[in-house]
Amino acid sequence: MTSLHAFFSHPRSRRRACWLLVLLCFLCLIPLQRSLDLRGGSERALGEVLFLPSGRVLRQLSLGYDGLLADVYWTRVVQYFGGKRVAHSTEFKLLGPLLQITTVLDPHLIIAYRFGSIFLADKPPRGAGEPLEALALLHRGIVANPEYWRFWEDVGFVYYWDLKDYAAAARAFQAGSERPGAMTWMRALAAKVAAEGGELGTSKFLWSEIARQAGNEQIRKNAEEHLMAIQATEDIGKLNELVALYNQRQGQPPRSLQALVAAGYLRASPRDPSGKPYILDADGHVKLNPRSSVDLSLLQ
Amino acid sequence: MRVVTIAIHTFKESVRQKVLYNLVAFALLLIGASILFGSISVGVERIILITLGLTSISVFGLLIAIFIGIDLVSKEIERRTIYNILSKPVTRVEFVLGKYLGLLLTLLVNTGIMTAGFYAALYYQKRTLGPEDLVFLGAVYFILLQLAMVVGVALVFSCISTPVLSAVYTFCLFVIGNFSADLRAFGQQTENALLGTACGALYYALPNFANFNVISEVAHAQKIPGYLWVGNSLYALLYITILLGLAILIFEEREFR
Repeated sequence: MTSLHAFFSHPRSRRRACWLLVLLCFLCLIPLQRSLDLRGGSERALGEVLFLPSGRVLRQLSLGYDGLLADVYWTRVVQYFGGKRVAHSTEFKLLGPLLQITTVLDPHLIIAYRFGSIFLADKPPRGAGEPLEALALLHRGIVANPEYWRFWEDVGFVYYWDLKDYAAAARAFQAGSERPGAMTWMRALAAKVAAEGGELGTSKFLWSEIARQAGNEQIRKNAEEHLMAIQATEDIGKLNELVALYNQRQGQPPRSLQALVAAGYLRASPRDPSGKPYILDADGHVKLNPRSSVDLSLLQ
Repeated sequence: MRVVTIAIHTFKESVRQKVLYNLVAFALLLIGASILFGSISVGVERIILITLGLTSISVFGLLIAIFIGIDLVSKEIERRTIYNILSKPVTRVEFVLGKYLGLLLTLLVNTGIMTAGFYAALYYQKRTLGPEDLVFLGAVYFILLQLAMVVGVALVFSCISTPVLSAVYTFCLFVIGNFSADLRAFGQQTENALLGTACGALYYALPNFANFNVISEVAHAQKIPGYLWVGNSLYALLYITILLGLAILIFEEREFR
């Protein structure tokens, strides 16, 4: 006891003991926090609940910091959507209300309307599968920002891709092309969609325009993924035609696509836009290599 | 024994502060007003009373914790009483521990008063109190643990900074500590490995105040899970030990001239 007292009466010993205690406690803290996290810990939830569902109330409560609060809510939208995507969830119950709050707090937050409409319109599990809600969001964006013609482009895309309503899509592109400052290709887009809605060539034209005009890396990447899927669909169609021709001329189906090369139908082994070779399945149909990064479901 | 004497003196000194009475009075007023807020709504009267009442205890408890925590060293230096205390057979460890326990006692009494006000408001609304209402004491216990950690944080800052800056730092750390799960999520989602590791390290190093927030659960009559009682108590104990250890280390190094 006396030696212990002597130990602690010495400042250096006291300091060492203190450091040791701090370190030990910290080391214990990490597994404890992990165990709390595993059991739900700080992410315990009452299901998906928004305690303040009204953007207007939040705007009043923000004491003038509504712009900052809108940024916070937009970040929440992205985190919520990203979290759901990572968890492969198909339910996005809070996405619509969170976007509503964000855009009420800051009606000029363009990105929230544009990305929000993509999140809402895409089919599950890529999105919420709510194209009508996406249209409502974009129309609110148009009312709040009538000078921003690109919302019409987004409206057109939702009609084109998600609702397959090509006439409405053409009308939206036309309406957008009439806005001051709109790009001239919007008019061409309206005409092309009106004439050849649903054709793969039209889709290619649309996504090429998006990739060319994209002011954002994610939008450009998304457009490129769609273009790759379109290219692969076209390639598979052409290759299947060649397989049928080979079958007709040789009297038996080819064993592999190499047989088409050997017979002079192709100059080299065909590869998809991601660089992986196409393969011929047992039924004699050309399909993507399992290692291919091309996602054909994007076009469904 | 000397620690207890310092703690009692600290408590007596704290309760003399007028700001404390103002804060408690304001908290009681807000708890009382939650009855009115509830009455102008539909179907959520009880929930509003519980959430607003417990939030008032938490928010005003936080203000009290910060106000009393930041004055620990600065006031003693300002009044030059620190020289008298340290010239007596009192070690700096005893001084820091005594001060902390005194502040904790102050918090306990104030939270007790606010909790009594909360239950009075609940009784006024329900006209009765039953065993099911004991669950709110669990939320109050977690608030107290949270506040005990906040006082510890304020105490560390008060050893190295001015009262105003200590208050700002403590409040900022409280806000960050409530978003630590987002910090971890950000670290997990970033493609930058260094940033991910830094976020992970910060997640464990910073106090995780979100662990203690059960107000929403109890407002919806959900029971607090057993693991949370044990886990949170242990977490608070460990973190407070770390904070006190740091405060002692800093205070030991300080020279008073």
